Amino acid sequence: MSHFRYRVFPWARWSPRTRRRFVTGILFISPWALGFLLFTLYPMVSSLYTSFTIYHIKAPSEWVGLANYRQILHDKRFWIALYNTTYMVVIGVPSTLIGAFLCAILLNLKLKGQSVYRVIYFIPSIVPVVAASILWVWIYNTNNGILNTALRYIGIQGPSWLTDPHWAKPALIIMGWWGMGNTIVIYLSGLQDIPVTLLEAAELDGASWFQRLWHVVVPMVSPITLFNLILGVIDMFQYFTQAYIFATSQASYAVSSGRPLGAPLDSTLFYSIYLYYKAFINLKFGYASALAWILFVIILICTLVLMRVTEKWTFYGEEF
Amino acid sequence: MSKKWIVVAGLLIVAMLMGACAKAAPTPTPKPAPTQAPTTAPAKEESAFPKEMHVWVTWGDNPAQLQELFNKFGNAHNTKVIVNAPVDEDKVIAALSGSQPPDVLVLSGPDNVPTWVNEGLLLPLDDLIAKNNVDLNDIYEAMLAQGKYRGKIYALPWGSDTYALYWNKDLFEEAGLDPEHPPETLEELVSYAEKLTKVDDNGDIVQMGFVPDYAWSHIEQYAPMFGGYWISRDGTKVLLDSQPVIDALKWEQQFYTKYGPDKVLKFVSSLGDYASPQNGFMDGKIAMVVDGEWFMGPNFIRGLKPDLWYGVAPFPYPKDHPERKHTNTVGGTVVVIPAGVANPEASGKLLAWMMSPEVVAEEMCANYNLPSSKKAAQDPCFKQDEYFALFMELANDPNATTQVFTPASTEINTELSNIEEKVLHAGEDPVPLLKEAQQKLQPILDKANAGQ
Repeated sequence: MSHFRYRVFPWARWSPRTRRRFVTGILFISPWALGFLLFTLYPMVSSLYTSFTIYHIKAPSEWVGLANYRQILHDKRFWIALYNTTYMVVIGVPSTLIGAFLCAILLNLKLKGQSVYRVIYFIPSIVPVVAASILWVWIYNTNNGILNTALRYIGIQGPSWLTDPHWAKPALIIMGWWGMGNTIVIYLSGLQDIPVTLLEAAELDGASWFQRLWHVVVPMVSPITLFNLILGVIDMFQYFTQAYIFATSQASYAVSSGRPLGAPLDSTLFYSIYLYYKAFINLKFGYASALAWILFVIILICTLVLMRVTEKWTFYGEEF
Repeated sequence: MSKKWIVVAGLLIVAMLMGACAKAAPTPTPKPAPTQAPTTAPAKEESAFPKEMHVWVTWGDNPAQLQELFNKFGNAHNTKVIVNAPVDEDKVIAALSGSQPPDVLVLSGPDNVPTWVNEGLLLPLDDLIAKNNVDLNDIYEAMLAQGKYRGKIYALPWGSDTYALYWNKDLFEEAGLDPEHPPETLEELVSYAEKLTKVDDNGDIVQMGFVPDYAWSHIEQYAPMFGGYWISRDGTKVLLDSQPVIDALKWEQQFYTKYGPDKVLKFVSSLGDYASPQNGFMDGKIAMVVDGEWFMGPNFIRGLKPDLWYGVAPFPYPKDHPERKHTNTVGGTVVVIPAGVANPEASGKLLAWMMSPEVVAEEMCANYNLPSSKKAAQDPCFKQDEYFALFMELANDPNATTQVFTPASTEINTELSNIEEKVLHAGEDPVPLLKEAQQKLQPILDKANAGQ
């Protein structure tokens, strides 16, 4: 029976060498640990506290309990922001995944110039987000932008991508597809990991191209799909940069300093943008902190639900 | 072997900690003028200036020119003035809240001043103004009024703007209108605009007579022309659902609903960049626009489309209210001093220098903004364009007014902005929207005025 003391303080029983190794390990993690404590954990706890206060910059904050949270539930803009953000998550993430998967399949075909194509598809994802957003504002120009000009050649009257509230979010989603390069690459490596024997066996059994895709390829890359899906959801809930650039590029529709919030007509008012606005324009840091924590809880719940739900569809490793 | 690794790891961590925790040494006490060349610096400028001073400007029109201008101050007072332009909003907030704000901050408008004063982020300037003999009488009334809040001055103007009506004389002639006769009343403007709008066979607009919100919203010009504003002069009441605001919005709306908001939006979104020769007005696609005095200058028409045949006139008044002739809303760049500055005296001197007529003249000439100093306005540089004098006259007119800013202005103005967008771009009825906003915002304003 090990002494109680050694149960509580296991290190008391270690050999000097083990102890030394442990200390070395701690020292090596400490930069990360310090960073985590100072720049992640501390701000999180601090913002949780702030969310229960009305925050004053130079004066002490006033504790108001759940007042900020209650106000948020009655805030029309909060619900609009939540809707817009959810729209992006529900439509943007799956479409990007499916698109990336299909592109990866294409890029896996043994064609001449395969590596050139792979580079072409990957490059857009390394263009800095701000530069890309500004570029796409030009592409989406209603009369002179490349997109609508190209559509005109095939006889389609392109919509006013940036000024029509029905098309603003789709415009942002399409721009997102352009940058799916890194997802493609991850899928590509997943595809190459699929044992050729499986596919050959399926072909021998008379499976068509589509059946092979659906019953062999998709399950074999399902871990990657899950990974990208969850990261994509977490990311998309915090969508900010592109929408911010789009909105501020619209010849700033504004009353003197009234910001162009979610132009056109609230359709691009995303959660992070609303949060930013509340914090840095209205200086309502308590309210913004409450918004941040609500988002955290939403993302957490979504992630847990996703992992649960996709459990039986995700296929790891060798068991067949 | 592992001992060596522990030492290396330990050193690395210590180094990182030192890097992370070290703050740039704050300048707590003003250092005496550096010992480089004591004879060049005027001896009387003794110990008042820190080695480095920082000026932040939130707009970035011409950072090189700004730096050159401030170097003059730096050289004269043996200090180094570092200009940072443009600076983002959130950096400004972070700096104001922290321990190392810039010595002087130049903002594109006084909108945030009340909010920031409420949070204790700005220094009241009255004492520094008196101490440094800034001549308030030399500053135009309307421009000076911008920076006053709760009886104290928190901001001084540094290049104000006002707006007038630009009209394209070629398009007027084409439409059979007298190119030398701009509309004088709002009613005339509406009828001229109709003649100047062209729609092609597909029903698409190819030319607009007047777009009330071209480039950006001008409701702060329209509301006073209709007799009011959306906040009371004393900053305590929200007046969103008052008649002048309703009238202004309805007046604006007709330009959109006459042709269908979708068509107008499509037309406007096809125009080029504001600051390019493809600007809707410069390109001859919009016949009349409301724009500011900079629009004639070297960065816009004179520089990008010098052969444009155009005119500038005061914005029209309502036929039934000739007493409102020449109403215009003056506003623009202001300079503030953050509350936590290391050396308020030095900041005050820099501010006073910025307000001196010579400096104002030089800066306003370069940027083509209205000089806030009456003496500076005499500079020949401002006589170059025949219409600049018009803007100066407007800014000095008894009917010149300013906006009212409150600690809740960002909320109120954003709400109005959203309403205007819905009214113009989606054809909605302004009255219920304004009433709803009114209900929502009055309590917010009350709380903000009470210090929350």
